[in-house]
Amino acid sequence: MLQQLANGVFAGSIYALFAIGFTLVFGVLRHLNLAHPAVFTAGAFVGIEVAARTAIPVWILFPVVALFGALAGVLVERIAFRPLRGRDDEHFAGLISSVALGGVVIALLQARYGTEPKSFATDYFPSRLFEFAGIRVTSTQLVTLALALVLMLGLAWLVSATPLGRSMRAVAENPTAAKVLGVNVGRVTAGTYALSSALGTVAGALLALNLGQAGRDLGASIELVGFAVIILGGLGSLWGAMAAGVVLGVAEAMTIHLFDSTWKSMVAFALLFAVLVIRPRGLFGHVKVREV
Amino acid sequence: MPEPILEVEGLRVAYGRVQAVRNVSFSVPEGGLVALVGANGAGKSSVLAAVSGLVKPAAGRVRFDGDDVTRKPAHRRIGAGLVLVPEGRQILGTLTVAENLLLGAHRRRREAAPESEMYDLFPVLAERRALPAGSLSGGEQQMLAIARAMIARPRVVLLDEPSMGLAPKMVDEVFAVIEKIRASGVTVVLVEQNARRALRAADTGHVLETGEIAHSGPASELLQDPRVVKAYLGVE
Repeated sequence: MLQQLANGVFAGSIYALFAIGFTLVFGVLRHLNLAHPAVFTAGAFVGIEVAARTAIPVWILFPVVALFGALAGVLVERIAFRPLRGRDDEHFAGLISSVALGGVVIALLQARYGTEPKSFATDYFPSRLFEFAGIRVTSTQLVTLALALVLMLGLAWLVSATPLGRSMRAVAENPTAAKVLGVNVGRVTAGTYALSSALGTVAGALLALNLGQAGRDLGASIELVGFAVIILGGLGSLWGAMAAGVVLGVAEAMTIHLFDSTWKSMVAFALLFAVLVIRPRGLFGHVKVREV
Repeated sequence: MPEPILEVEGLRVAYGRVQAVRNVSFSVPEGGLVALVGANGAGKSSVLAAVSGLVKPAAGRVRFDGDDVTRKPAHRRIGAGLVLVPEGRQILGTLTVAENLLLGAHRRRREAAPESEMYDLFPVLAERRALPAGSLSGGEQQMLAIARAMIARPRVVLLDEPSMGLAPKMVDEVFAVIEKIRASGVTVVLVEQNARRALRAADTGHVLETGEIAHSGPASELLQDPRVVKAYLGVE
């Protein structure tokens, strides 16, 4: 039971990491960036390739992946969203063009890496087993949890206490007012995408490290749960995405423990609907990015 | 006559097919106070939006301190010292008073606590610095909007309807602040529906009618001009 709880927390921390990147862009810019799952998948493949080519240790690998993700995020905004700026249907059109860009990214990954899953070398990050109070955890799981915590708290700090975060909250509340005050809205937009996609690629590489491998459907496999996490937490809410990620991760693990894995999606989504009936705005729907 | 610090030439602003501003030209001498008055919808705010870089003009030029800034983005104009206090105040209600001020102080981010000098000028803001700006009264929000512009150390301040929606006592306070800004050597462009108050404060006035300048002159003369009195000032 406790073991399942722990497994759920580890899985949930990856969901949360996926979800905060997505929800950050929505909270600040009101964009639904549906290329996020594809960027997540790209992060996994890039992580595997860089690890194989350079054999750099895992604590250097993730910053490299994050840097790649930041560049990818800036490109996503330039390609899928910026050309539509100022149109009446800007938000809906952006949603569609980001789906299309996601498809392009997956096709590019397939062209470079083929259709078969890629794996980390078995000796790249040998997972050691630890035992705390009867709960077995692997070193990979510990790295996952630690990295997720550091990144989520780091993001919360960045948004609430730095000049960039202040500008992001200003843009979130009123882009015109932010512009009047001299906020470089273009730069804040690029920065928001860079952060979002950096978090997304790190989440992808982390999931690949946990699974040992990544296929081009890695993003598709987390997409629905990830979006459920975002809705459950309240769209645009960072703390909500973090909490909901863990809630869904634990709910899935408990379902596997009590029934079997075929039920896990059903229970996760039933939970989503149940929460939305009681709290239509999500767990933290009233706390937006600007209030972190 | 000092050199003009701000020159607007042949300005045209269009929103789709609607022409809000047609061929407007005027210049503002350094240290002066120029009022743009006129009815609702005459194009006054659109002139300021184009001068500050919030909208792209369809034609015409804006020169600031000798440079053509027509194509410069808003944040670069602010950096150069051309700052707008927008209509409706546009304060950020979920951010604190201090955060609103710090956003205005972008250019001075290396200084420690650049907002403190604004608290000397606007003591009411000092008391509320940690509160969300949305909790301030309308008059206090207007003071915050002005303080947020002044913290950028502007050379020209563009004030868009600063007295709108305020109680008479607050209107007096706002005009007292405008006098202070002016006395400190900062050039002011004032857009107002309250034409009489604005012209009394200004040296020069321009009256806008349906997007064009209908009358221009020293503010004291416009206050006496029977056409202006009849259309905009009425009987006191």
